[in-house]
Amino acid sequence: MDTAYMSAILPSLLSGTKLTLFIFFATLLISLPLGLPFALGSISRFAPFRVLAKGYIWIFRGTPLMLQLFFVYYGLPIMFGASLRMTNMTAAVVTFACNYAAYFAEIYRAGIQSIDAGQHEAAKSLGFTSWQTMKIIILPQTIARVIPPISNEVITLVKDTALVTAIGVGELLKAAKDANNRDVNPTAFFMAAIIYLALTFLLTLLSQWCEKRFSRHERKEI
Amino acid sequence: MSILNIEHVTKKFGGFTALNDVSLNVEKGEAVAIIGSSGSGKSTLLRCVNNLERVTTGKITVDGKVLVDTVDGKAVYPKEAEIRTICTKTGMVFQHFNLFPHLSCIDNITSAPINVLKIPAEQARVEAMRLLGVVGLTEKADSYPAQLSGGQKQRVAIARALAMNPQIMLFDEPTSALDPETTNEVVSTIQKLVEQKITMLIVTHDMRFARNSATRVIFMDEGSIIEQNTPDKLFNHPENPRLQAFLNSIH
Repeated sequence: MDTAYMSAILPSLLSGTKLTLFIFFATLLISLPLGLPFALGSISRFAPFRVLAKGYIWIFRGTPLMLQLFFVYYGLPIMFGASLRMTNMTAAVVTFACNYAAYFAEIYRAGIQSIDAGQHEAAKSLGFTSWQTMKIIILPQTIARVIPPISNEVITLVKDTALVTAIGVGELLKAAKDANNRDVNPTAFFMAAIIYLALTFLLTLLSQWCEKRFSRHERKEI
Repeated sequence: MSILNIEHVTKKFGGFTALNDVSLNVEKGEAVAIIGSSGSGKSTLLRCVNNLERVTTGKITVDGKVLVDTVDGKAVYPKEAEIRTICTKTGMVFQHFNLFPHLSCIDNITSAPINVLKIPAEQARVEAMRLLGVVGLTEKADSYPAQLSGGQKQRVAIARALAMNPQIMLFDEPTSALDPETTNEVVSTIQKLVEQKITMLIVTHDMRFARNSATRVIFMDEGSIIEQNTPDKLFNHPENPRLQAFLNSIH
């Protein structure tokens, strides 16, 4: 193992990691809340909301993320004018946020609908409005149930960020590929793999903590 | 004074008639038990009173307010907000408790008074502690439902319904999901409410309770009220053959 070579390329990999993390956090910051209105829309009694939300989810789950990325970065400015031209970083975050919101919407919807009908009945019989029922009774219980599938998506997101290499964002995978091409030495790929693994390991710990934290009330003892 | 008045209520689920022209009047302070085999419409009747089901035709009046009336053969309900106000006059206790698992017992009891009746949190808490005293669970105020036995959960559910200060309590088979030992603690809690002259309508399979605690017992079969009387007369001198058959089948 050539430790001198490894420490020589480490800074470029770490600055790639910084971009990866930026895309990762920016995507979550937008998509986690954005999924909720689409989830509520898809189970709304008002048909136009339902059609809108389900159509959105269908499109973003039904086409490849890479295609969406190309469409936002290359396609939008050509079709709708130069005002929609974005930097590749912005295009990456916009695409990822919209795509992940669709997946989170489905997770939230399934979580909301998994709550026992008796909870709705109890809330209704106590005089809660449907909005109060959602806010005070249903959503707080949904959180505990959606944490495992959300964690799954979040870990997938770490690795999906590598796709933005395709529009030239210099994130972790691109930094590794550049080093490999320049030095004809695959060490950078191994180092990138270790960084990805470290990130997903931390996220796994975080999700385990969240699961415990949000299901405290289900334990027999406190 | 009539607290609950049900007039000619019919409820159909598709082609199936769950309630067939049911009329019933409950006076203040009465404890009315409804008995009958499964599928006789007992629970459906209770759920119509609490707007968990909508009637097909008929009229229901709760504490002088019309929940539903029938115009030209169609059931007409008032606006949502009005329905909610009327339904807060009824307190529902479910077979499967339906406590909110993410809230402690005290929060289960105070959430509706605070959010629906807009009672100040501190006042709601004091009242909730009093009610926990009534059901004998003061020490469980900060426990979560998962930490309680079935009987304890049902007693908290009773306190939660009482906290809305309802004009009438509706019990939908409150002891059917409980084992025999915990059944007793729930039954004696309800008996305590009977002694306090709290008006109630209670669907039950517990004949001992119906016989000992109810002021009136109603027998339902195939969506209709077949016979009603004082517990003594209904159980000891049943007139209708279907009631006689029912009573024979459970003894």
